Amino acid sequence: MTRTQPAYLLENVTHFYGDKKVLDIAHLAIAKGSITGLLGPNGSGKSTLLKLLAFAMRPAFGKIFFNGRREYPFSPNIRSRVTLVTQKPYLLRRTVYENIAYGLQIRRDTADLQARISRALSRVGLAYEGFAHRQWHALSGGEAQRVAMAARLILKPKVLLLDEPVASVDARSAALIRQAALAARENWDTTLVIASHDLAWLFDCSDNQISISNGTLFSTGLEIIIPGPYTTGRQGLTKTLEDGRFIVLPPATRSGKTAVIQREKILLAADPQKDNGYDNQIKAQVQSMHMTGKQQEIMTTIAVPEMTFLLGLDPELTGSLSLQPGKEVFLMFRSQDIVWR
Amino acid sequence: MDFILEGFAKAVFLLISLDASTVTAISATLKASTWAMAASLAAGLPLGFLLGYFDFPGKRPLRTLVDTLLALPTVSIGLIIYALISSQGPLGEFGLLFTITGIAMGQTLLALPVIIAITAATVENIDPDLKLTLVSLGAAKLDIIRTCLWEVRYGIMAGAVTAYGRVLTEVGISMMVGGNIKYHTRTITTAIALETSKGQFADGIALGLVLIFIAFCVNICLSVLRKK
Repeated sequence: MTRTQPAYLLENVTHFYGDKKVLDIAHLAIAKGSITGLLGPNGSGKSTLLKLLAFAMRPAFGKIFFNGRREYPFSPNIRSRVTLVTQKPYLLRRTVYENIAYGLQIRRDTADLQARISRALSRVGLAYEGFAHRQWHALSGGEAQRVAMAARLILKPKVLLLDEPVASVDARSAALIRQAALAARENWDTTLVIASHDLAWLFDCSDNQISISNGTLFSTGLEIIIPGPYTTGRQGLTKTLEDGRFIVLPPATRSGKTAVIQREKILLAADPQKDNGYDNQIKAQVQSMHMTGKQQEIMTTIAVPEMTFLLGLDPELTGSLSLQPGKEVFLMFRSQDIVWR
Repeated sequence: MDFILEGFAKAVFLLISLDASTVTAISATLKASTWAMAASLAAGLPLGFLLGYFDFPGKRPLRTLVDTLLALPTVSIGLIIYALISSQGPLGEFGLLFTITGIAMGQTLLALPVIIAITAATVENIDPDLKLTLVSLGAAKLDIIRTCLWEVRYGIMAGAVTAYGRVLTEVGISMMVGGNIKYHTRTITTAIALETSKGQFADGIALGLVLIFIAFCVNICLSVLRKK
Protein backbone atom coordinates (compact mmCIF):
# COMPACT_ATOMS: atom_id res chain seq x y z
CA MET A 1 0.00 0.00 0.00
CA THR A 2 1.74 3.15 -1.11
CA ARG A 3 1.27 6.62 0.21
CA THR A 4 0.36 7.83 -3.28
CA GLN A 5 -2.64 5.50 -3.45
CA PRO A 6 -5.66 7.54 -2.37
CA ALA A 7 -7.72 6.59 0.64
CA TYR A 8 -10.82 7.12 -1.52
CA LEU A 9 -11.39 7.04 -5.20
CA LEU A 10 -14.87 7.75 -6.54
CA GLU A 11 -15.57 6.98 -10.18
CA ASN A 12 -18.76 8.17 -11.91
CA VAL A 13 -20.76 8.13 -8.70
CA THR A 14 -24.35 9.28 -8.91
CA HIS A 15 -27.05 9.03 -6.31
CA PHE A 16 -30.76 9.69 -6.31
CA TYR A 17 -33.45 10.30 -3.72
CA GLY A 18 -36.54 9.16 -5.58
CA ASP A 19 -36.26 10.69 -9.03
CA LYS A 20 -34.07 13.57 -7.88
CA LYS A 21 -30.40 13.31 -8.65
CA VAL A 22 -28.58 14.55 -5.56
CA LEU A 23 -25.00 13.62 -6.36
CA ASP A 24 -23.08 13.45 -9.59
CA ILE A 25 -19.34 12.99 -9.21
CA ALA A 26 -17.27 12.00 -12.21
CA HIS A 27 -14.03 11.62 -10.27
CA LEU A 28 -12.87 12.32 -6.75
CA ALA A 29 -9.67 11.20 -5.07
CA ILE A 30 -8.94 11.83 -1.40
CA ALA A 31 -5.35 11.32 -0.33
CA LYS A 32 -4.47 9.19 2.68
CA GLY A 33 -3.80 11.19 5.81
CA SER A 34 -5.13 14.38 4.22
CA ILE A 35 -7.69 16.81 5.55
CA THR A 36 -10.31 17.74 2.99
CA GLY A 37 -12.69 20.61 3.60
CA LEU A 38 -16.14 20.22 2.09
CA LEU A 39 -18.11 23.39 1.49
CA GLY A 40 -21.54 24.02 0.12
CA PRO A 41 -24.96 25.35 0.98
CA ASN A 42 -27.57 23.27 2.77
CA GLY A 43 -29.05 20.68 0.46
CA SER A 44 -26.06 20.72 -1.88
CA GLY A 45 -25.22 17.05 -1.32
CA LYS A 46 -22.53 17.26 1.38
CA SER A 47 -24.25 14.89 3.79
CA THR A 48 -25.07 12.42 1.01
CA LEU A 49 -21.45 12.39 -0.07
CA LEU A 50 -20.29 11.84 3.51
CA LYS A 51 -22.77 8.97 3.97
CA LEU A 52 -21.42 7.35 0.81
CA LEU A 53 -17.85 7.84 2.03
CA ALA A 54 -18.92 6.30 5.36
CA PHE A 55 -20.35 3.32 3.42
CA ALA A 56 -23.62 3.88 5.24
CA MET A 57 -25.32 3.40 1.86
CA ARG A 58 -24.28 2.47 -1.62
CA PRO A 59 -24.49 4.85 -4.57
CA ALA A 60 -27.15 4.31 -7.21
CA PHE A 61 -24.41 4.12 -9.81
CA GLY A 62 -20.64 4.25 -9.82
CA LYS A 63 -17.79 2.80 -7.84
CA ILE A 64 -16.17 3.75 -4.57
CA PHE A 65 -12.68 2.43 -3.92
CA PHE A 66 -11.21 2.46 -0.43
CA ASN A 67 -7.47 1.93 -0.18
CA GLY A 68 -7.48 0.76 -3.79
CA ARG A 69 -10.22 -1.82 -3.32
CA ARG A 70 -13.85 -1.48 -4.36
CA GLU A 71 -15.90 -1.50 -1.18
CA TYR A 72 -19.52 -1.80 -0.13
CA PRO A 73 -21.53 -1.18 3.05
CA PHE A 74 -20.84 -3.72 5.82
CA SER A 75 -17.60 -4.88 4.25
CA PRO A 76 -15.22 -6.10 6.99
CA ASN A 77 -12.51 -3.97 5.40
CA ILE A 78 -14.24 -0.73 6.22
CA ARG A 79 -16.10 -1.59 9.44
CA SER A 80 -14.70 0.51 12.28
CA ARG A 81 -12.02 1.94 9.99
CA VAL A 82 -14.32 4.56 8.55
CA THR A 83 -16.48 6.52 10.92
CA LEU A 84 -18.80 9.48 10.70
CA VAL A 85 -19.86 12.14 13.20
CA THR A 86 -23.03 13.99 12.25
CA GLN A 87 -24.27 17.41 13.31
CA LYS A 88 -26.77 15.91 15.74
CA PRO A 89 -25.29 12.57 16.69
CA TYR A 90 -27.52 9.84 18.03
CA LEU A 91 -26.45 8.62 21.44
CA LEU A 92 -27.62 5.16 22.43
CA ARG A 93 -30.12 5.11 25.33
CA ARG A 94 -27.35 4.12 27.71
CA THR A 95 -24.61 5.62 29.82
CA VAL A 96 -21.70 7.55 28.37
CA TYR A 97 -19.44 4.57 29.23
CA GLU A 98 -21.67 2.17 27.29
CA ASN A 99 -21.93 4.54 24.34
CA ILE A 100 -18.17 4.82 24.02
CA ALA A 101 -17.62 1.11 24.64
CA TYR A 102 -20.18 0.04 22.01
CA GLY A 103 -17.86 0.14 18.99
CA LEU A 104 -15.22 -1.93 20.77
CA GLN A 105 -17.71 -4.38 22.27
CA ILE A 106 -19.18 -5.32 18.89
CA ARG A 107 -15.61 -5.95 17.74
CA ARG A 108 -15.03 -8.00 20.91
CA ASP A 109 -12.04 -5.80 21.65
CA THR A 110 -12.64 -5.09 25.32
CA ALA A 111 -9.18 -5.33 26.82
CA ASP A 112 -8.35 -2.53 29.23
CA LEU A 113 -11.71 -0.97 28.39
CA GLN A 114 -11.98 1.44 31.30
CA ALA A 115 -8.58 3.01 30.67
CA ARG A 116 -9.30 3.37 26.96
CA ILE A 117 -12.66 4.99 27.64
CA SER A 118 -10.99 7.32 30.09
CA ARG A 119 -8.41 8.32 27.45
CA ALA A 120 -11.11 8.78 24.78
CA LEU A 121 -13.08 11.03 27.10
CA SER A 122 -10.04 13.08 28.02
CA ARG A 123 -9.31 13.65 24.31
CA VAL A 124 -12.58 15.58 24.09
CA GLY A 125 -12.13 17.35 27.40
CA LEU A 126 -14.48 15.24 29.53
CA ALA A 127 -13.46 13.73 32.85
CA TYR A 128 -14.09 9.99 33.29
CA GLU A 129 -15.22 10.39 36.88
CA GLY A 130 -17.77 13.07 36.06
CA PHE A 131 -19.20 11.69 32.84
CA ALA A 132 -18.65 7.95 32.37
CA HIS A 133 -21.74 6.88 34.28
CA ARG A 134 -24.05 9.66 33.20
CA GLN A 135 -27.10 8.69 31.16
CA TRP A 136 -27.38 9.94 27.60
CA HIS A 137 -30.20 12.32 28.53
CA ALA A 138 -28.15 14.03 31.22
CA LEU A 139 -25.78 15.66 28.71
CA SER A 140 -25.85 19.08 27.09
CA GLY A 141 -25.74 19.32 23.28
CA GLY A 142 -22.02 20.07 23.31
CA GLU A 143 -21.26 17.25 25.75
CA ALA A 144 -23.31 14.79 23.66
CA GLN A 145 -21.36 15.79 20.56
CA ARG A 146 -18.08 15.29 22.41
CA VAL A 147 -19.21 11.86 23.66
CA ALA A 148 -20.10 10.94 20.05
CA MET A 149 -16.64 12.07 19.02
CA ALA A 150 -15.01 10.04 21.81
CA ALA A 151 -17.01 6.96 20.70
CA ARG A 152 -15.37 7.31 17.27
CA LEU A 153 -11.89 8.22 18.45
CA ILE A 154 -11.66 5.14 20.67
CA LEU A 155 -11.80 3.08 17.44
CA LYS A 156 -8.64 4.84 16.16
CA PRO A 157 -10.32 5.23 12.76
CA LYS A 158 -8.42 5.34 9.49
CA VAL A 159 -10.99 7.81 8.20
CA LEU A 160 -12.94 10.33 10.25
CA LEU A 161 -15.82 12.03 8.45
CA LEU A 162 -17.27 15.07 10.15
CA ASP A 163 -20.61 16.48 8.99
CA GLU A 164 -21.02 19.94 10.49
CA PRO A 165 -19.57 18.70 13.76
CA VAL A 166 -19.56 22.06 15.52
CA ALA A 167 -22.63 23.69 14.01
CA SER A 168 -24.83 23.41 17.07
CA VAL A 169 -22.45 23.30 20.01
CA ASP A 170 -20.97 25.91 22.33
CA ALA A 171 -17.61 27.53 21.59
CA ARG A 172 -15.65 25.43 24.10
CA SER A 173 -17.06 22.15 22.80
CA ALA A 174 -16.36 23.28 19.23
CA ALA A 175 -12.74 24.01 20.09
CA LEU A 176 -12.30 20.63 21.80
CA ILE A 177 -13.92 18.74 18.92
CA ARG A 178 -11.68 20.49 16.39
CA GLN A 179 -8.64 19.81 18.50
CA ALA A 180 -9.54 16.12 18.87
CA ALA A 181 -10.18 15.74 15.12
CA LEU A 182 -6.81 17.22 14.20
CA ALA A 183 -5.08 15.13 16.86
CA ALA A 184 -6.47 12.01 15.16
CA ARG A 185 -4.41 12.78 12.08
CA GLU A 186 -1.30 13.46 14.14
CA ASN A 187 -1.71 10.32 16.25
CA TRP A 188 -2.99 7.75 13.76
CA ASP A 189 -2.50 9.37 10.36
CA THR A 190 -6.29 9.50 10.06
CA THR A 191 -7.78 10.85 6.84
CA LEU A 192 -10.29 13.58 7.60
CA VAL A 193 -13.14 14.91 5.49
CA ILE A 194 -14.84 17.82 7.16
CA ALA A 195 -18.05 19.54 6.07
CA SER A 196 -18.46 22.83 7.85
CA HIS A 197 -19.74 26.35 7.41
CA ASP A 198 -16.85 27.55 9.55
CA LEU A 199 -14.72 28.64 6.62
CA ALA A 200 -11.97 30.14 8.77
CA TRP A 201 -11.37 26.78 10.47
CA LEU A 202 -11.72 24.79 7.27
CA PHE A 203 -9.23 26.88 5.36
CA ASP A 204 -6.89 26.90 8.29
CA CYS A 205 -6.80 23.16 8.94
CA SER A 206 -7.53 21.52 5.58
CA ASP A 207 -5.02 20.58 2.92
CA ASN A 208 -7.54 21.09 0.15
CA GLN A 209 -11.10 22.22 -0.19
CA ILE A 210 -13.89 21.18 -2.47
CA SER A 211 -17.22 22.87 -2.96
CA ILE A 212 -20.38 21.03 -3.74
CA SER A 213 -23.41 22.52 -5.40
CA ASN A 214 -26.41 20.63 -6.78
CA GLY A 215 -24.49 17.44 -6.12
CA THR A 216 -21.56 18.46 -8.33
CA LEU A 217 -18.04 19.04 -7.04
CA PHE A 218 -15.96 22.15 -7.71
CA SER A 219 -12.48 23.05 -6.65
CA THR A 220 -13.00 25.81 -4.10
CA GLY A 221 -9.46 27.04 -4.36
CA LEU A 222 -9.99 28.05 -7.96
CA GLU A 223 -13.70 28.50 -8.61
CA ILE A 224 -16.72 30.34 -7.30
CA ILE A 225 -20.16 28.82 -7.72
CA ILE A 226 -23.05 31.10 -8.62
CA PRO A 227 -25.91 28.94 -7.36
CA GLY A 228 -29.32 28.75 -9.04
CA PRO A 229 -32.14 29.33 -9.56
CA TYR A 230 -31.47 31.24 -12.76
CA THR A 231 -34.05 33.34 -14.57
CA THR A 232 -34.48 34.52 -18.13
CA GLY A 233 -35.48 38.16 -18.58
CA ARG A 234 -34.77 41.20 -20.71
CA GLN A 235 -31.06 40.99 -19.90
CA GLY A 236 -30.93 37.36 -20.95
CA LEU A 237 -30.11 34.68 -18.44
CA THR A 238 -29.47 36.08 -14.96
CA LYS A 239 -29.05 35.14 -11.35
CA THR A 240 -31.42 37.46 -9.52
CA LEU A 241 -30.30 38.36 -6.00
CA GLU A 242 -32.69 38.82 -3.10
CA ASP A 243 -32.61 42.61 -3.30
CA GLY A 244 -33.57 42.60 -7.00
CA ARG A 245 -30.09 43.11 -8.42
CA PHE A 246 -28.82 40.49 -10.79
CA ILE A 247 -25.74 38.81 -12.16
CA VAL A 248 -25.65 38.57 -15.94
CA LEU A 249 -24.86 35.05 -17.09
CA PRO A 250 -23.80 33.65 -20.45
CA PRO A 251 -26.30 31.63 -22.49
CA ALA A 252 -26.93 28.22 -20.96
CA THR A 253 -25.34 25.14 -22.39
CA ARG A 254 -26.75 21.65 -22.54
CA SER A 255 -23.94 20.07 -20.58
CA GLY A 256 -23.88 22.36 -17.56
CA LYS A 257 -26.44 23.31 -14.96
CA THR A 258 -24.34 25.34 -12.53
CA ALA A 259 -22.74 28.71 -13.28
CA VAL A 260 -19.10 28.86 -12.21
CA ILE A 261 -16.44 31.51 -12.49
CA GLN A 262 -12.70 31.21 -11.96
CA ARG A 263 -11.60 33.12 -8.90
CA GLU A 264 -8.84 34.88 -10.85
CA LYS A 265 -11.42 36.41 -13.20
CA ILE A 266 -12.96 38.45 -10.39
CA LEU A 267 -11.66 41.92 -9.66
CA LEU A 268 -12.23 44.00 -6.59
CA ALA A 269 -12.62 47.77 -6.68
CA ALA A 270 -13.57 50.45 -4.22
CA ASP A 271 -15.93 52.14 -6.74
CA PRO A 272 -17.83 51.11 -9.87
CA GLN A 273 -16.05 51.67 -13.15
CA LYS A 274 -17.56 52.55 -16.52
CA ASP A 275 -16.64 51.24 -19.93
CA ASN A 276 -14.17 48.66 -18.73
CA GLY A 277 -16.04 45.73 -20.24
CA TYR A 278 -17.16 44.28 -16.90
CA ASP A 279 -20.91 43.83 -17.28
CA ASN A 280 -21.20 42.56 -13.71
CA GLN A 281 -20.32 45.16 -11.10
CA ILE A 282 -21.93 44.05 -7.89
CA LYS A 283 -21.84 46.08 -4.70
CA ALA A 284 -20.90 43.75 -1.86
CA GLN A 285 -19.73 43.81 1.71
CA VAL A 286 -16.65 42.24 3.27
CA GLN A 287 -17.90 39.75 5.80
CA SER A 288 -14.78 38.18 7.23
CA MET A 289 -11.05 38.03 6.64
CA HIS A 290 -8.53 35.60 7.94
CA MET A 291 -4.95 34.77 7.17
CA THR A 292 -4.21 31.27 5.94
CA GLY A 293 -0.88 29.96 7.05
CA LYS A 294 -0.54 27.65 4.08
CA GLN A 295 -1.15 29.81 1.04
CA GLN A 296 -0.05 33.16 2.46
CA GLU A 297 -3.34 34.63 1.33
CA ILE A 298 -6.05 36.44 3.16
CA MET A 299 -9.21 34.42 2.75
CA THR A 300 -11.88 37.05 2.40
CA THR A 301 -15.58 36.35 2.45
CA ILE A 302 -17.48 38.95 0.47
CA ALA A 303 -21.24 38.80 0.71
CA VAL A 304 -23.99 39.86 -1.64
CA PRO A 305 -27.57 39.01 -0.77
CA GLU A 306 -28.08 35.24 -0.87
CA MET A 307 -24.50 34.26 -1.73
CA THR A 308 -20.91 34.74 -0.72
CA PHE A 309 -17.71 34.98 -2.70
CA LEU A 310 -14.73 33.43 -0.97
CA LEU A 311 -11.57 34.93 -2.41
CA GLY A 312 -7.95 34.38 -1.49
CA LEU A 313 -6.50 37.87 -1.73
CA ASP A 314 -2.95 39.08 -1.84
CA PRO A 315 -2.21 40.96 1.42
CA GLU A 316 -0.99 43.91 -0.67
CA LEU A 317 -4.37 44.21 -2.41
CA THR A 318 -6.29 44.11 0.84
CA GLY A 319 -4.00 46.84 2.14
CA SER A 320 -4.40 49.06 -0.92
CA LEU A 321 -8.21 48.76 -0.76
CA SER A 322 -8.18 49.11 3.05
CA LEU A 323 -10.37 46.04 3.27
CA GLN A 324 -11.87 45.18 6.61
CA PRO A 325 -15.07 43.42 7.67
CA GLY A 326 -18.05 45.65 6.99
CA LYS A 327 -16.40 47.62 4.19
CA GLU A 328 -18.30 47.90 0.91
CA VAL A 329 -16.52 46.95 -2.31
CA PHE A 330 -17.46 46.20 -5.90
CA LEU A 331 -17.04 42.71 -7.35
CA MET A 332 -16.38 42.98 -11.06
CA PHE A 333 -16.43 40.16 -13.58
CA ARG A 334 -17.48 39.54 -17.16
CA SER A 335 -20.46 37.35 -17.95
CA GLN A 336 -18.40 35.77 -20.73
CA ASP A 337 -15.95 34.49 -18.11
CA ILE A 338 -18.72 32.53 -16.40
CA VAL A 339 -18.95 28.96 -17.56
CA TRP A 340 -21.63 26.30 -17.21
CA ARG A 341 -20.68 23.04 -15.54
CA MET B 1 -75.50 -1.97 47.39
CA ASP B 2 -74.99 -4.36 50.31
CA PHE B 3 -74.38 -7.30 48.04
CA ILE B 4 -71.38 -5.51 46.51
CA LEU B 5 -69.85 -4.85 49.95
CA GLU B 6 -70.55 -8.42 50.97
CA GLY B 7 -68.96 -9.50 47.73
CA PHE B 8 -65.78 -7.58 48.60
CA ALA B 9 -65.65 -9.12 52.06
CA LYS B 10 -66.13 -12.62 50.69
CA ALA B 11 -63.58 -11.94 48.00
CA VAL B 12 -60.93 -11.18 50.60
CA PHE B 13 -61.86 -14.37 52.47
CA LEU B 14 -61.64 -16.51 49.30
CA LEU B 15 -58.22 -15.15 48.53
CA ILE B 16 -56.86 -15.49 52.04
CA SER B 17 -58.23 -19.01 52.47
CA LEU B 18 -56.78 -20.05 49.08
CA ASP B 19 -60.13 -21.39 47.90
CA ALA B 20 -59.44 -24.27 45.49
CA SER B 21 -61.67 -23.12 42.63
CA THR B 22 -60.30 -19.58 42.85
CA VAL B 23 -56.69 -20.74 42.93
CA THR B 24 -57.13 -23.11 39.96
CA ALA B 25 -58.79 -20.36 37.91
CA ILE B 26 -55.88 -18.04 38.68
CA SER B 27 -53.41 -20.79 37.85
CA ALA B 28 -55.12 -21.61 34.53
CA THR B 29 -55.17 -17.94 33.56
CA LEU B 30 -51.49 -17.42 34.37
CA LYS B 31 -50.43 -20.60 32.57
CA ALA B 32 -52.38 -19.86 29.39
CA SER B 33 -51.46 -16.20 29.25
CA THR B 34 -47.76 -16.86 29.95
CA TRP B 35 -47.52 -19.44 27.16
CA ALA B 36 -49.47 -17.15 24.83
CA MET B 37 -47.25 -14.16 25.56
CA ALA B 38 -44.05 -16.18 25.20
CA ALA B 39 -45.15 -17.55 21.83
CA SER B 40 -46.50 -14.26 20.50
CA LEU B 41 -43.35 -12.36 21.55
CA ALA B 42 -41.06 -15.01 20.05
CA ALA B 43 -42.87 -14.80 16.71
CA GLY B 44 -44.12 -11.22 16.82
CA LEU B 45 -40.90 -9.36 17.61
CA PRO B 46 -38.92 -10.55 14.57
CA LEU B 47 -41.97 -10.30 12.30
CA GLY B 48 -42.74 -6.80 13.57
CA PHE B 49 -39.11 -5.79 13.09
CA LEU B 50 -39.07 -7.08 9.52
CA LEU B 51 -42.34 -5.34 8.76
CA GLY B 52 -41.22 -2.02 10.25
CA TYR B 53 -37.58 -1.94 9.19
CA PHE B 54 -37.56 -3.10 5.58
CA ASP B 55 -39.33 -1.79 2.53
CA PHE B 56 -40.67 -4.46 0.23
CA PRO B 57 -43.48 -4.86 -2.29
CA GLY B 58 -46.76 -5.48 -0.52
CA LYS B 59 -45.65 -3.91 2.75
CA ARG B 60 -48.61 -1.49 2.93
CA PRO B 61 -51.32 -4.14 2.37
CA LEU B 62 -49.58 -6.34 4.93
CA ARG B 63 -49.60 -3.50 7.48
CA THR B 64 -53.28 -2.95 6.77
CA LEU B 65 -53.95 -6.67 7.29
CA VAL B 66 -52.08 -6.68 10.62
CA ASP B 67 -53.92 -3.55 11.74
CA THR B 68 -57.22 -5.18 10.80
CA LEU B 69 -56.34 -8.26 12.85
CA LEU B 70 -55.97 -5.97 15.89
CA ALA B 71 -59.73 -5.72 15.97
CA LEU B 72 -60.36 -9.44 15.46
CA PRO B 73 -63.12 -10.49 17.90
CA THR B 74 -62.07 -13.10 20.43
CA VAL B 75 -65.07 -15.28 19.56
CA SER B 76 -63.88 -15.38 15.94
CA ILE B 77 -60.45 -16.51 17.08
CA GLY B 78 -62.12 -19.03 19.35
CA LEU B 79 -64.10 -20.33 16.41
CA ILE B 80 -60.99 -20.66 14.20
CA ILE B 81 -58.99 -22.46 16.89
CA TYR B 82 -61.97 -24.65 17.77
CA ALA B 83 -62.27 -25.67 14.11
CA LEU B 84 -58.57 -26.43 13.95
CA ILE B 85 -58.25 -28.49 17.12
CA SER B 86 -61.62 -30.18 17.38
CA SER B 87 -61.63 -33.88 16.59
CA GLN B 88 -62.65 -33.19 12.97
CA GLY B 89 -60.03 -30.45 12.50
CA PRO B 90 -56.52 -30.82 11.07
CA LEU B 91 -54.98 -30.72 14.58
CA GLY B 92 -57.68 -32.89 16.15
CA GLU B 93 -55.36 -35.82 16.75
CA PHE B 94 -53.35 -33.84 19.29
CA GLY B 95 -56.26 -33.62 21.71
CA LEU B 96 -55.88 -29.90 22.35
CA LEU B 97 -59.57 -29.06 22.69
CA PHE B 98 -60.58 -28.12 26.25
CA THR B 99 -56.97 -27.81 27.37
CA ILE B 100 -54.85 -24.94 28.62
CA THR B 101 -52.63 -25.41 25.55
CA GLY B 102 -55.64 -24.91 23.28
CA ILE B 103 -56.53 -21.68 25.11
CA ALA B 104 -52.89 -20.55 24.85
CA MET B 105 -52.96 -21.16 21.08
CA GLY B 106 -56.00 -18.94 20.68
CA GLN B 107 -54.56 -16.26 22.93
CA THR B 108 -51.33 -16.34 20.93
CA LEU B 109 -53.37 -15.57 17.83
CA LEU B 110 -55.01 -12.74 19.76
CA ALA B 111 -51.72 -11.20 20.97
CA LEU B 112 -49.67 -11.73 17.83
CA PRO B 113 -51.13 -8.88 15.71
CA VAL B 114 -50.74 -6.51 18.67
CA ILE B 115 -47.05 -7.41 19.12
CA ILE B 116 -46.38 -7.26 15.36
CA ALA B 117 -48.22 -3.98 14.81
CA ILE B 118 -46.69 -2.17 17.79
CA THR B 119 -43.17 -3.49 17.09
CA ALA B 120 -43.47 -2.46 13.42
CA ALA B 121 -44.77 1.01 14.32
CA THR B 122 -42.04 1.46 16.94
CA VAL B 123 -39.31 0.30 14.56
CA GLU B 124 -40.66 2.54 11.78
CA ASN B 125 -40.30 5.50 14.10
CA ILE B 126 -36.69 4.74 14.98
CA ASP B 127 -34.53 7.82 14.53
CA PRO B 128 -32.85 7.41 11.11
CA ASP B 129 -29.63 8.65 12.71
CA LEU B 130 -29.55 5.50 14.88
CA LYS B 131 -28.74 3.22 11.94
CA LEU B 132 -26.23 5.74 10.61
CA THR B 133 -24.60 5.89 14.03
CA LEU B 134 -24.43 2.10 14.33
CA VAL B 135 -22.96 1.71 10.85
CA SER B 136 -20.40 4.39 11.58
CA LEU B 137 -19.44 2.57 14.78
CA GLY B 138 -18.79 -0.60 12.78
CA ALA B 139 -21.96 -2.55 13.56
CA ALA B 140 -22.76 -5.62 11.44
CA LYS B 141 -26.33 -6.28 10.27
CA LEU B 142 -27.16 -8.50 13.24
CA ASP B 143 -25.71 -5.92 15.66
CA ILE B 144 -27.98 -3.30 14.06
CA ILE B 145 -31.11 -5.45 14.52
CA ARG B 146 -30.22 -6.27 18.13
CA THR B 147 -29.32 -2.70 19.03
CA CYS B 148 -32.35 -1.20 17.28
CA LEU B 149 -34.68 -3.53 19.20
CA TRP B 150 -32.89 -2.68 22.45
CA GLU B 151 -33.14 1.04 21.75
CA VAL B 152 -36.90 0.84 21.29
CA ARG B 153 -37.44 -1.64 24.12
CA TYR B 154 -39.81 0.63 26.05
CA GLY B 155 -42.10 1.01 23.04
CA ILE B 156 -42.09 -2.75 22.57
CA MET B 157 -42.72 -3.31 26.28
CA ALA B 158 -45.75 -1.02 26.00
CA GLY B 159 -46.91 -3.22 23.12
CA ALA B 160 -46.40 -6.35 25.18
CA VAL B 161 -48.39 -4.89 28.06
CA THR B 162 -51.22 -3.98 25.70
CA ALA B 163 -51.20 -7.52 24.30
CA TYR B 164 -51.07 -8.99 27.80
CA GLY B 165 -54.07 -6.87 28.73
CA ARG B 166 -56.04 -8.32 25.82
CA VAL B 167 -54.96 -11.89 26.63
CA LEU B 168 -55.69 -11.58 30.33
CA THR B 169 -59.15 -10.14 29.90
CA GLU B 170 -60.51 -12.13 26.97
CA VAL B 171 -63.48 -14.46 27.52
CA GLY B 172 -64.43 -15.75 24.08
CA ILE B 173 -61.39 -17.94 23.41
CA SER B 174 -61.22 -19.37 26.92
CA MET B 175 -64.91 -20.15 26.89
CA MET B 176 -65.07 -21.75 23.42
CA VAL B 177 -61.70 -23.52 23.31
CA GLY B 178 -61.28 -24.20 27.03
CA GLY B 179 -64.87 -25.15 27.74
CA ASN B 180 -64.85 -23.48 31.21
CA ILE B 181 -64.17 -26.79 33.01
CA LYS B 182 -63.89 -26.31 36.76
CA TYR B 183 -60.45 -27.12 38.23
CA HIS B 184 -59.11 -27.60 34.71
CA THR B 185 -59.67 -24.93 32.07
CA ARG B 186 -61.75 -22.42 34.00
CA THR B 187 -59.91 -19.10 33.81
CA ILE B 188 -60.52 -15.96 35.82
CA THR B 189 -62.64 -14.33 33.13
CA THR B 190 -64.80 -17.39 32.37
CA ALA B 191 -65.25 -17.92 36.11
CA ILE B 192 -66.36 -14.30 36.57
CA ALA B 193 -68.85 -14.67 33.70
CA LEU B 194 -70.21 -17.90 35.18
CA GLU B 195 -70.39 -16.75 38.80
CA THR B 196 -72.06 -13.47 37.83
CA SER B 197 -74.66 -15.31 35.77
CA LYS B 198 -75.37 -17.45 38.85
CA GLY B 199 -75.66 -14.36 41.07
CA GLN B 200 -72.47 -15.28 42.98
CA PHE B 201 -71.01 -11.79 43.02
CA ALA B 202 -68.45 -12.50 45.73
CA ASP B 203 -66.62 -15.06 43.66
CA GLY B 204 -66.78 -12.75 40.65
CA ILE B 205 -65.45 -9.80 42.61
CA ALA B 206 -62.66 -11.90 44.14
CA LEU B 207 -61.47 -13.00 40.73
CA GLY B 208 -61.89 -9.49 39.35
CA LEU B 209 -59.62 -8.20 42.13
CA VAL B 210 -57.04 -10.81 41.22
CA LEU B 211 -57.14 -9.71 37.57
CA ILE B 212 -56.58 -6.10 38.57
CA PHE B 213 -53.77 -7.17 40.92
CA ILE B 214 -51.99 -9.13 38.14
CA ALA B 215 -52.25 -6.16 35.76
CA PHE B 216 -50.93 -3.90 38.51
CA CYS B 217 -47.96 -6.21 39.17
CA VAL B 218 -47.06 -6.37 35.48
CA ASN B 219 -47.05 -2.59 35.24
CA ILE B 220 -44.99 -2.24 38.43
CA CYS B 221 -42.41 -4.67 37.00
CA LEU B 222 -42.23 -2.66 33.79
CA SER B 223 -41.87 0.56 35.68
CA VAL B 224 -38.96 -0.89 37.69
CA LEU B 225 -37.32 -2.17 34.51
CA ARG B 226 -37.62 1.26 32.91
CA LYS B 227 -35.86 2.89 35.84
CA LYS B 228 -33.00 0.43 35.47
